[in-house]
Amino acid sequence: MRRLAPYIPIAAFAVAALVVPLLMRDLTFVMQTVLSMIVVVGLSLFMGYAGQASLGHAAFVAVGALTVAVLCRQLGLPPVVGLLAAPVIAGIFAVAVGAPLLRLRGHYLAFGTLAVLLLVQLVMSTVPLFGGGVGIMGIPPLLPGGQLGYVYLAIAVLVGALVVSQHLVDSRFGRGMRALRGSETAAASSGVPVLRSKIQVFALSAVFAGFAGALSAFFIPYVSQDSFPPSKSFEYVIMAVVGGLGSLWGGIVGVLVISVLLQTLNFLSTMPGLPATAGPTLQFAGYAVVLVVVLLFLPNGIVPSIQSAWRRRRARLVPTNAG
Amino acid sequence: MTTFLTYIASGLAVGASFALIGSGFVVVHRVTNVVNFTQGTLTVLGGLISYSLLSMAIPHGLGEVAAVLIAAVAGLLVGLVTLSRPGTPAFVALLVTLGLSFLGTAIIILVWGQNPVSPPGIEGSIAFGSVSIESQRVLIVVVTLAVFGAMWLFFERTDLGRAMSAAASNQRAARLVGIDVRRMGLAAFAIAGALGGLAGVLLAPTLPLSVYSDLPLALSGFAAAVFGGLSSPGRTLIGAMVLGVSGQLVAGYINGSFQTQLALVMMLVVMIARHRSLTTEEAK
Amino acid sequence: MLHIRDLVVTYGAATALDGVSLDVEAGEMVALVGPNGAGKTTTLNAISGVVPTASGTIENGGRSAQVPEGRQLFADLSVDDNLRLGAWRMPRRDRNTERVYAVMPDLRPLRRQRAGLLSGGQQQMVAIGRALMARPDVLLIDELSLGLAPLIAARLIEHLREINRDEGTTILLVEQEVDLAFDLCSRAYVIEAGRVVAEGPTDVLRADPQLAAIYLGTAMTRSETP
Repeated sequence: MRRLAPYIPIAAFAVAALVVPLLMRDLTFVMQTVLSMIVVVGLSLFMGYAGQASLGHAAFVAVGALTVAVLCRQLGLPPVVGLLAAPVIAGIFAVAVGAPLLRLRGHYLAFGTLAVLLLVQLVMSTVPLFGGGVGIMGIPPLLPGGQLGYVYLAIAVLVGALVVSQHLVDSRFGRGMRALRGSETAAASSGVPVLRSKIQVFALSAVFAGFAGALSAFFIPYVSQDSFPPSKSFEYVIMAVVGGLGSLWGGIVGVLVISVLLQTLNFLSTMPGLPATAGPTLQFAGYAVVLVVVLLFLPNGIVPSIQSAWRRRRARLVPTNAG
Repeated sequence: MTTFLTYIASGLAVGASFALIGSGFVVVHRVTNVVNFTQGTLTVLGGLISYSLLSMAIPHGLGEVAAVLIAAVAGLLVGLVTLSRPGTPAFVALLVTLGLSFLGTAIIILVWGQNPVSPPGIEGSIAFGSVSIESQRVLIVVVTLAVFGAMWLFFERTDLGRAMSAAASNQRAARLVGIDVRRMGLAAFAIAGALGGLAGVLLAPTLPLSVYSDLPLALSGFAAAVFGGLSSPGRTLIGAMVLGVSGQLVAGYINGSFQTQLALVMMLVVMIARHRSLTTEEAK
Repeated sequence: MLHIRDLVVTYGAATALDGVSLDVEAGEMVALVGPNGAGKTTTLNAISGVVPTASGTIENGGRSAQVPEGRQLFADLSVDDNLRLGAWRMPRRDRNTERVYAVMPDLRPLRRQRAGLLSGGQQQMVAIGRALMARPDVLLIDELSLGLAPLIAARLIEHLREINRDEGTTILLVEQEVDLAFDLCSRAYVIEAGRVVAEGPTDVLRADPQLAAIYLGTAMTRSETP
């Protein structure tokens, strides 16, 4: 029964998530939030365990979306094929990028993934098959009916991602990854294949991202090089850090916090008396303040900080045997 | 032939500014082990401030110098926040500088908006044999070489420069000898701010800068620094020149808008090829 | 000159020094010996102010400079730069490196060389020279002979003897090679697990067979070989 305990919150979350789309009017916002959660759950896991930042993770979302666009629109394959191929291609791409870069010091991966994102954008803007600058329109629908179906599909994928991640965290692999987090040299000497583990988590996070990209391509049937700019990539990183790296729920909480923050700032910026530049100014300032404050004062992020505060409180209340 | 030489010349000018940005990365990384993501933002800031000062009829020379000094102060502020908690791992410090670059972006949008601006530079052009090169571009190369020379003198021949090199070389021993390592780190950030700001000031007349220029500039500068293993200013200069010239040649003979991406491809190739010598290290 | 009373130093939950007391008078040369991990380096670091002390007192009547374990040179910088940086705490005009070359002339031809490229013995001379640049009253030396051939180490001991004789510099020497340390120093402290377990003149300590067997292993074997 203990083995199932971690999955209960996931089930509760799934049930709650089923209700939310029926209550919200702006399904696009819901969809984007869920898609971000899918990406950030994976990214948070990677950054938490590998201790390196992937600043260009939107590249894998883009690859996923592009796969769907090319296979389904340009090559005419059935939508389901696109949906299933996207995460696979994204994963393979991640292995190709990660294998050399993950050996290097952290900032090389950070800039390297950013470079890959810009190169993906470049390829999308020049190669006709990939959109040639105007983008690919008219991607055939995956599901009949309106947006609601896609939202539920995305939620299903998110729950699947949470289950897979939880399973990973509980497994021997997860223990090895936690050892990695403590000290790479110690982990290596206890037999944890450091580089291979990092690549595996990196690839898994890319698979999640690719899935999210594919879903977004069906939801808004237009994919261009501007669909996934570096700012989106940075947003994922901020969401992961704020929520708490290496923590499943950190990803969820981080996305919620930042999404709500952005909506609030967006609303504030439309108030009378503010200059036209208030919108982007507040957005970037919001990103900056949240990121820097969390990094300096809550370095583990929101969820882990709450968890450790809770554990400390419980330790104080429970009388110790030592007396 | 003349077109070819013109491309080389403008390539050297662009490369020179990459070299300045790249050496900013190198100085900070050597002394603190942190990669300063605000390097591009500081460059844009330098260019924009010089634009504003010159527009307010502050004389040439004075306006540019003031812009560089302000950029140095901005760099120092970045350093103060980034180094505020001793023992911050390099991974976290990189993200802190990322966050500060957003703050810089917010300030830039607030003050200057989102459109590119270009201050007046030096007018006219100089003839080198059969080739005529814009004076501004010549200025960029000359100033960059002078600055690199000055940096060499500073790090090799002055006590403060030696102390910074010492802090970069062996933190433990530096502390033992009485060097305030944190202060050296702050000095490195201030110098990086000045270098980036100078790059922006020199570039802006030929290449209009806006808030969105910061990422391509940072990446190009970082690509140049990668050539030098993030530790050698000399090799950064060479790498930057190679990047600049090849970018211009590609722009001229093939297509104009791929300079940044070409730099990125070359950077990735170097990182992948040299991965054996650029292995993981614990943060200082 | 140097008076330490009941010094306690902790690293988190671990106690590195558990009430260490020792005295070094001006102009003396005193050895600090003991097994690995006993707290010898910690003692020097506490005197230098590099590690915080939990309790106890350190009275230092003069300026001290440390020659750290493993040399810890600025490998990318030249010998001369390394020396000059030793005087970082001194006013600018006092940073002339000539004094060191006068004491250790072997370094003069190496002055422009990158410190990282020198041999072990040469690096140790640079480390000592760097400490001397601060014009210390007390020289704290951590593991002088580590990784060095006996002949080279003996040569360095001679340099130390000269420095003590000519400048009156007090020396506190932490050293694994007990024979070497006892050749130079008149008194010694034996430290184990953060406590001083024996102290006294070096010829007395040398002659004590029990002490020799437990702590001064090398001394015992040395005196046994013909």
